[in-house]
Amino acid sequence: MSSASEPKILELRKVSFSYSRQRPLITELSLSVGEGEFIGLLGANGSGKSTILKLGSGILRPFGGEILLWSKLLHDFRNRDRAKLISYLPQTLDITVPFTIRELVGMGLYPYDIPPAMSVDSALDMVGLQDKASAHLADLSGGEKRRTFIAMTLVQGAGLLMLDEPLANLDIKYQIELVRLLKTLRAEKNISIIMALHDINMALQFSMVMLVKDGSLLGIGTPEDVLTNARLRDAFDVQVSIIRQTDGSAYIRYGDNA
Amino acid sequence: MMGINVKIWLIIFVPIVVFGVSLIAGPRMINPFTADDISREILISIRAPRSMVALLMGMALGASGAVLQGILKNPLADPYILGISSGASLAAALGIMAGAAFVGTFTIPLLAFIGALITGSIVGIMGWKRGGLWPERLLLAGVGLSFLFSALLMLFMSISNDEGLRKAMLWIFGDLSMSEWSKIPYGIIFVGIGILISLSRAKALNALILGDELAHSLGFSPHRERFILFVSVGLLTAASVSLGGMIGFIGLLVPHIVRFFLGSDNRVLIPCSALIGGALLCIADIISKSVLPPMELPAGIVTAIIGSPYFLYLLRRKNVLSI
Repeated sequence: MSSASEPKILELRKVSFSYSRQRPLITELSLSVGEGEFIGLLGANGSGKSTILKLGSGILRPFGGEILLWSKLLHDFRNRDRAKLISYLPQTLDITVPFTIRELVGMGLYPYDIPPAMSVDSALDMVGLQDKASAHLADLSGGEKRRTFIAMTLVQGAGLLMLDEPLANLDIKYQIELVRLLKTLRAEKNISIIMALHDINMALQFSMVMLVKDGSLLGIGTPEDVLTNARLRDAFDVQVSIIRQTDGSAYIRYGDNA
Repeated sequence: MMGINVKIWLIIFVPIVVFGVSLIAGPRMINPFTADDISREILISIRAPRSMVALLMGMALGASGAVLQGILKNPLADPYILGISSGASLAAALGIMAGAAFVGTFTIPLLAFIGALITGSIVGIMGWKRGGLWPERLLLAGVGLSFLFSALLMLFMSISNDEGLRKAMLWIFGDLSMSEWSKIPYGIIFVGIGILISLSRAKALNALILGDELAHSLGFSPHRERFILFVSVGLLTAASVSLGGMIGFIGLLVPHIVRFFLGSDNRVLIPCSALIGGALLCIADIISKSVLPPMELPAGIVTAIIGSPYFLYLLRRKNVLSI
């Protein structure tokens, strides 16, 4: 979490939300995202990860609390203006869409009347899809499909990227490639990224993680601080233990011998 | 391979040529430069409005088919799937069978237009839930209403007298022979507005095809955009049905032909579907009035007979059954 002095891109202040009146899903959740942060959002199925991302990107409206984008109420932004600041990519992408990769990436220009700095070609270059520009989504590998939409967000020029489980259904090779790409974007473009993920081992590689359970934050900070054995047990309801190596790396072990 | 610019120029050029040919062709060829008074009268009072109606209807059907396939994310959607045309046909057929003529020759087109708008509104209301239109609900409401109105239409036709019945049948199956100049300005206005609205929302339609969440992320309000596009489809369908009844297949087929050659970007797809739709219906009309003179075939039957084999051919060539 960013400290008070740093500029905050997104702030959720005591945000509450529910899909049905009976059971609130998110209750008085507060968090903030600063410039250039790369945050892994961890939690069990149904813990509210996707809902938090959808609230933060304005797809869902909270029934309590407020959400600020660059210190201005998120829902006061015109749709097009908001789209220049936040990109959201859902977990499931429809791969039967009829557009070519170039057309898809070019849709990142839609919020603009005057095209922004990043061209479709340079975005394709950056994600390594220049030679696939005229292909269709269905002809690409899982990793390339994700990279197509990342390229779209690059063209869109948003400083905050909210990704809902982008690593789901990807082979480990593509997972590593995608995380590497996102880290490069963060370094080169100072883009802030929040991504929901399931793999605790992957989360251990992040500089910052948020752990959620039942719509509340169990912790936010570095993986060492947040991902303790006790918290992980609480969040996922299984016995896990973090094994830290002498070289500083860490991995997770499942089982009762924690 | 033809460049995309060449293809677009062809698509603009073809309807103009076809329109010209449709003026000349008929049970009797008329050379406009050497025509006598009677021939000139036929050309101006009969053929020109008829060709205009064919062009306008074809444009409306082509464009609304493209938009509807996008909104409903269904490659089998055509402008008649929402039941709007069934409502229009019911209203018009009732008017014909009752011999209604309260505004002269405008009565039936007006009744059809009103029937279409009322049906469109009912489908819209039924497709509305939690602050927006939902594609699945729209589709199911449209199909349901369509069956209901068709059944009512059959019911009224089965108890109607012979003369009214024949006229109503002709009208329902798409009859261009009743075209006259007085309808054209209204046709141009409504078809023009419908196409302009849908063209102005073409980017939004592209985004909606990616899904509501991505559309939102790209700066669109999915429910609002879908509503505007639905209104444009309603206007286009209402205008086309009131111009000349129901002509099948163009709304389904034409967007697929255009996608095959020019891709799926709705900024290209919508205007080109309109132009090719207009051209195709003009061609169908030329055939319908030329092959068995003095008999005329209903244009809708011709579009289906020339359209279906080509559609099946495209299907073999490529997986065109996508949006």
